[in-house]
Amino acid sequence: MDFLDLGFSLKDLGIEYGTLAMFAMLLTLLLTGMPLAFVTLLVALIFTLGWFGPLAVPLITSRVFSFVSSFVFVSVPMFVLMAAILDRSGIARDLFDAMRLVGGRLRGGVAIQTIFVAVILAAMSGIIGGEVVLLGLIALPQMLRLGYDRNLAIGVVCAGGSLGTMVPPSIVLIIYGLTANVSIGDLFTAAFVPGLMLAGFYVAYVLIRSYLNPKVAPIPEPDDVPFSEKIALLKGLVLPLMVVGFVLGSIYGGIASVTEASAIGVFGVTISTILRREFSLALMKDAALQTLATCGMIVWIGIGASALVGVFNLMGGIKFVSSLFAGLSDSPTVVLLFMMLVLFVLGMFLDWVGIALLTMPIFVPIITQLGFDPVWFGVLFCMNMQVSFLSPPFGPAAFYLKSVAPANISLGDIFKSLWPFICLQVLAVAILIVFPGITGR
Amino acid sequence: MSDPQTRPPVDRGADGEAGEREIKRAVPEAGLIGRAIDRLGIVFALGIVAAMAILIMEVVLRYAFNAPTIWAHETTIFLCAIAFVYGGLYSAARDSHIRVVLVYDYVPKSVRRVLDVCISLACMVAALFFAYASVLMVEKAVLLPDGSFRLETSGSAWNPPTPALLKIFLLIVMGVMALQFLVLSWNYARGQRANKDKA
Amino acid sequence: AQEFSFKFQSSDPAGNPNFELKKDWAERVKAMSGGRLEIEMLPVGSVVEHNETQDAVSAGILDGHITDTSYFAGKDPAFGLIANPVGAWSDPSEMLRFVEYGGGKELMNELLEPRGLHFIGATTPGLEAFISKKPLDGVADLKGLKMRAPEGLVQEVFAAAGAAPVNLPGSEVFTSLDKNVIEAADYTVFSTNQAQGMHDVARHPVYPGFHSMPLVEVSMNKDKWDALPDDLKAILEVSVRDFARDMTSQLAMKDLVAVAEARKGGDITIHNWSAEERAKFRAIAKAQWEKVASRSDNAQKVYDVLTKYLTEQGLL
Ligand code: NA
Ligand code: NA
Repeated sequence: MDFLDLGFSLKDLGIEYGTLAMFAMLLTLLLTGMPLAFVTLLVALIFTLGWFGPLAVPLITSRVFSFVSSFVFVSVPMFVLMAAILDRSGIARDLFDAMRLVGGRLRGGVAIQTIFVAVILAAMSGIIGGEVVLLGLIALPQMLRLGYDRNLAIGVVCAGGSLGTMVPPSIVLIIYGLTANVSIGDLFTAAFVPGLMLAGFYVAYVLIRSYLNPKVAPIPEPDDVPFSEKIALLKGLVLPLMVVGFVLGSIYGGIASVTEASAIGVFGVTISTILRREFSLALMKDAALQTLATCGMIVWIGIGASALVGVFNLMGGIKFVSSLFAGLSDSPTVVLLFMMLVLFVLGMFLDWVGIALLTMPIFVPIITQLGFDPVWFGVLFCMNMQVSFLSPPFGPAAFYLKSVAPANISLGDIFKSLWPFICLQVLAVAILIVFPGITGR
Repeated sequence: MSDPQTRPPVDRGADGEAGEREIKRAVPEAGLIGRAIDRLGIVFALGIVAAMAILIMEVVLRYAFNAPTIWAHETTIFLCAIAFVYGGLYSAARDSHIRVVLVYDYVPKSVRRVLDVCISLACMVAALFFAYASVLMVEKAVLLPDGSFRLETSGSAWNPPTPALLKIFLLIVMGVMALQFLVLSWNYARGQRANKDKA
Repeated sequence: AQEFSFKFQSSDPAGNPNFELKKDWAERVKAMSGGRLEIEMLPVGSVVEHNETQDAVSAGILDGHITDTSYFAGKDPAFGLIANPVGAWSDPSEMLRFVEYGGGKELMNELLEPRGLHFIGATTPGLEAFISKKPLDGVADLKGLKMRAPEGLVQEVFAAAGAAPVNLPGSEVFTSLDKNVIEAADYTVFSTNQAQGMHDVARHPVYPGFHSMPLVEVSMNKDKWDALPDDLKAILEVSVRDFARDMTSQLAMKDLVAVAEARKGGDITIHNWSAEERAKFRAIAKAQWEKVASRSDNAQKVYDVLTKYLTEQGLL
């Protein structure tokens, strides 16, 4: 492979300019319209070749291998399959029709119920991806059908779907706990109220928006549905509630692990379609094929990001980030705020696993030294990752939604809709810093 | 939107108004290989369904009979892993990988065509490198240091050769992916896409 | 001045006490070599996943690793057997003496050098404690126990003892214990189990443990080792020997503090197995060693050297 020796090495840039060059290359390639997964993979490849030479390329394939064979990701296809089956049956529509009744005359009722559903999903799962896809397939078309403002509906789906890692159980908190050597149980307990607080912010935002401007969330047609029909509509709630009951029951009743419970969800939904006489082999086949395509997209985005972080760490990324903190300030607040800034900026370019791998080795010891509570910081980190799911240009929640959204909703539309929700998340981060007591610590 | 002839809208049952999504197929530019990739997708899609069934079975065996298997979790992970890897190839053939089309959508068609060709070529080069790296990885996973043949196993009590199989699978997928991107860039260069709009 | 700059990946996450000890070792190597040899210690998963480091070191992507040898049991059963001959050791010093003087070092290099790695030395976190929600006082209590065990010999031995081992990743251990999906888990040493809150959800730990003491290898790329001058090679070897003493002592002290704390707390019951029960468990384990030995020539070699040493030392 000597022909690849171009007479220069990217290594000569040094890690500072190397990092800049990496971000610049990412942005440029993104804008060409290259598939996102291949943008990160290509940048990882270029830097591996330019920094270490062709013999180091197996680093990337090794990360691909490890990424796809991770047990926690098994729940992603399960959630997507659940969504694909629901989407193809009439269950979702009936559910939302019934919810319209329950929501009654409350403005923004369906959006609020979507957030409520998102919190329940979050209690059933520790990752994101599956839930965004699920809400994107189920809730988004329904809200659009009911005449909700498109931006509001998109924002609720992406932000709500991201709650999976904020409300316990949460893989972000687990990885943080293992990294920082703090109790995962304490982290879960501490994250509970902040998670609900964030969901509460979303609800408040929906209410304020829809009462200030009634057009964004039309009230359902006047209440002239006869009682008998109401009862019929409410039947739509029965099966979904039973599925939710099964899944939550299997997790909290000690029957299944969080990952296994996602399979129980698929099973429950399949049984529901059989009970409704909607089941067919064609339906299963279509749903499975859609799952394959959606997971392909979702997972390959993760693969690319994971490869990029591996290369950056080998280039000396961890050392570089920690050098940013050397002699920064004596004030703990300044250091903390700088950490938040670093997390925010990294959140624009990397996925949370990468950010955790890169920053935790540096941040956790500093936090403990400064006398902060590492459990509180874990929750704070988790809240920061909520921002990273939505913030452009690398906003996983937006990508997940795009993979199932109607074709006329562009990625740009999605990101535009997310700004208010990012602001709410930043507000939540700020509140956690000012009032650490919210975590109960 | 892409041309309706090749992508029939999905029957969305009662849910007509929201039916803007469609079942996608391999894009025409993906050629014969793209159609083959699309067809084969069902095998891996069913693998996901099988993974679901195995997890359910494991829960029942463990909870009701106190007899967990030693193979359920590893099989599930393997089925999902090959589906994830294949899913990337599947989405490449269907051109459904997510892109940021901020600039792409606003440039003239001729520039877009050049972009399509360049992007596909770059992806092909990347896939080729990954195929080469996979060869190095597979060598270690199927040969012992003395040159004799042994598939790398998981090391668990069940000890299946899934790591070696997955690495071999990755090599094949990367190779096919390089070929797919070559076909795509060739067809884009021939200008198939020039006469249709891209969403 | 710096002449060599290496990157080693650890099998521990950054905040783990083991990782701090590994970083301290790297610092001492730098000091002892007068700054000529610098080692950057990277946390688990930062460059490649924990079970991929052997390939990465052999390819020269990483320069070295400090990791549990069990992770490579799938590459050769011999790694599984030498890394964790369940029941063989009741004290770290027994294992370290085997590595240093009982043929262990030579064995490790026989296994690693053809793969492009050189074994420098070994350490261990010590005898792991066992996490359990149910009171366990002997082998009989293991019957039907739903438990997590990592890949390798540990799982087979527990299966042979009548337990029902599940293969869960470390990241699912806490939630699975908490939600009763499993009743017990092979995890790590007492103090770390305690710090990560495992005892909050599983209040019947077995300490000192009876089941597992992993061999943690310090090894590096063979070509890069061969290129080192003799004095730096000696510094690495001697410093690893000291590192093993440092790690086992510090973690043992931490364990004792954590145990005292747990006793004072009052809601955790620590179980200690009697000598007879430990012997019963070891007998079950020994039968499994033989099974593993039959799976490859290298594994047989490990078995022969290991049992010879144990017999000579009156440990068998
Ligand atoms: Na959750
Ligand atoms: Na982001």
